[in-house]
Amino acid sequence: MYAIEMKNVNVYIDKRHILKDINLRIPYNSVYVIMGPSGSGKTTILKVINRLIDLIPSSKIDGAIYVLGFDVLSHDPYDLRRYIGMVFQVPNPFPHLTIYENVAIAAKINGIAKSKRELDRIVKWALEKAMLWNEVKDRLHDYPHQLSGGQRQRLCLARAIAMKPKILLLDEPTANIDPVNARKLEEAIISLKDEITVVMVTHSSHQAARVADHVAIIYDGKVVEQGPAKHLFLHPLTDIGQKILRGEM
Amino acid sequence: MYSWRKVKDRMFFVLILTISILAITPIIHMMVAVLANGFPMILKAGWGFFVKTPPTPLSQDIGGIAPSLIGTAILTLVSLPITIVLALFSAILVNEFPRNPLSIAIDVVAKSLASIPTIAVSMVIYILVVVPMGRFSALAGAIALTIVALPYAYTYISTVLGSIPLTYREAAYSIAMSRWKTIVKVLLPIAKRGFAIGILMTMARILGETAALLFVVGRYRTATSISIIEPVDAIPLLIFDYILTPYPIMQQIAWASAAFLLLIYITIFIAIKIIVKEVRL
Repeated sequence: MYAIEMKNVNVYIDKRHILKDINLRIPYNSVYVIMGPSGSGKTTILKVINRLIDLIPSSKIDGAIYVLGFDVLSHDPYDLRRYIGMVFQVPNPFPHLTIYENVAIAAKINGIAKSKRELDRIVKWALEKAMLWNEVKDRLHDYPHQLSGGQRQRLCLARAIAMKPKILLLDEPTANIDPVNARKLEEAIISLKDEITVVMVTHSSHQAARVADHVAIIYDGKVVEQGPAKHLFLHPLTDIGQKILRGEM
Repeated sequence: MYSWRKVKDRMFFVLILTISILAITPIIHMMVAVLANGFPMILKAGWGFFVKTPPTPLSQDIGGIAPSLIGTAILTLVSLPITIVLALFSAILVNEFPRNPLSIAIDVVAKSLASIPTIAVSMVIYILVVVPMGRFSALAGAIALTIVALPYAYTYISTVLGSIPLTYREAAYSIAMSRWKTIVKVLLPIAKRGFAIGILMTMARILGETAALLFVVGRYRTATSISIIEPVDAIPLLIFDYILTPYPIMQQIAWASAAFLLLIYITIFIAIKIIVKEVRL
């Protein structure tokens, strides 16, 4: 059994063929990194998994996708997303909510907290997991615009894990933040994999080497290589794989 | 010594400043003229301005605008909520389901309605409402005002909703929010200031509309009516009628009414600026 299984998945947007016969098997409780050049379809893979692709009216999906045993294409997407958290490339905390409310809303919407005390505990737990608690514990009623970019991104991570997901999708979460915040985010990601299956898109082979258990390399909408990170980093099979791992593509 | 780039930059700044001043000068002139002519008349009329009926040509007393004031209040109270609710739901439908045939139809109809002359709306409502009812009424006026204001409210609210970055919708859906909760808990609160200003703009449109009411409300200003099915008057109609008369006392009440409308608008605008804080993205 795999946390996520994609079989011959094809995605079309405005009749453009974005993903081509994607086959992926993502084991439970691992950090699975998807690498590839810009426009290769990495983000689309994440958005297929939690059906955010539905927000693009002209999108069409073929194939079979199973997440935690659910058939993604026939399952109610709103119910599916209860099990799948996501952090986006650009930090997007809700600007009208405070730091506390940003985290609490995810727990409340999904019925995780039954009382105010329980909600407080979950907010603290999620902010600790996101390595943000010590920086914001005295300013929980500040608004996200009062945080730095890296702190905002960790707030988004806290929001995603406050709903206690089984799977966490990370779309280049460190692309827009400084190295110190990026390292804190990586530490948070590694600490999460005991409880959560993490799927992360990144451009950085160094970052992939630090956090990945498994790696898939995507090029032009196709999976060109996949396997355990240690093996794949040492013995890439294709020229494209080598170039991407060396940061040349 | 200035480089050519700095000179061009300076020239561009001066050009923009000049155009801006040219654009706002007529507006400021109009506001000053209305307040200078009208505000002293409100002070002269005193409390009676709000409770008395308008003067006759030979009156000594300046009188008031009570029937028109009550009529405008009734028309606004009936028309504004209906307009805003219809515009909000239409804008949500069109923004969230842009390819739905109903959304496409609503968008086309709303944009077409905006280009219809408001006096034509008055004629249509006269035929469809006033004639079957057998009387002029506030109800007919409210329907006419709703038809006139709806495209403006829809376009404004739709633009506000559409300007919210997609990333907040994605964030909401990613924590398993339903579409409805995303709208209520995320999109509307983010855009609250835009909506507040949209409501104000719609209200200004309703408060100031004249032609759409010409054939439908009855211009009943000899006494105050508070019934929705009875004839009423409206402040813009009173201004329109009285400013064209040769009688100074009636022209004075027209100026005072215009100043009163302007003051209401400025007060609400400032209140919204102070009370409804902008959400910083």
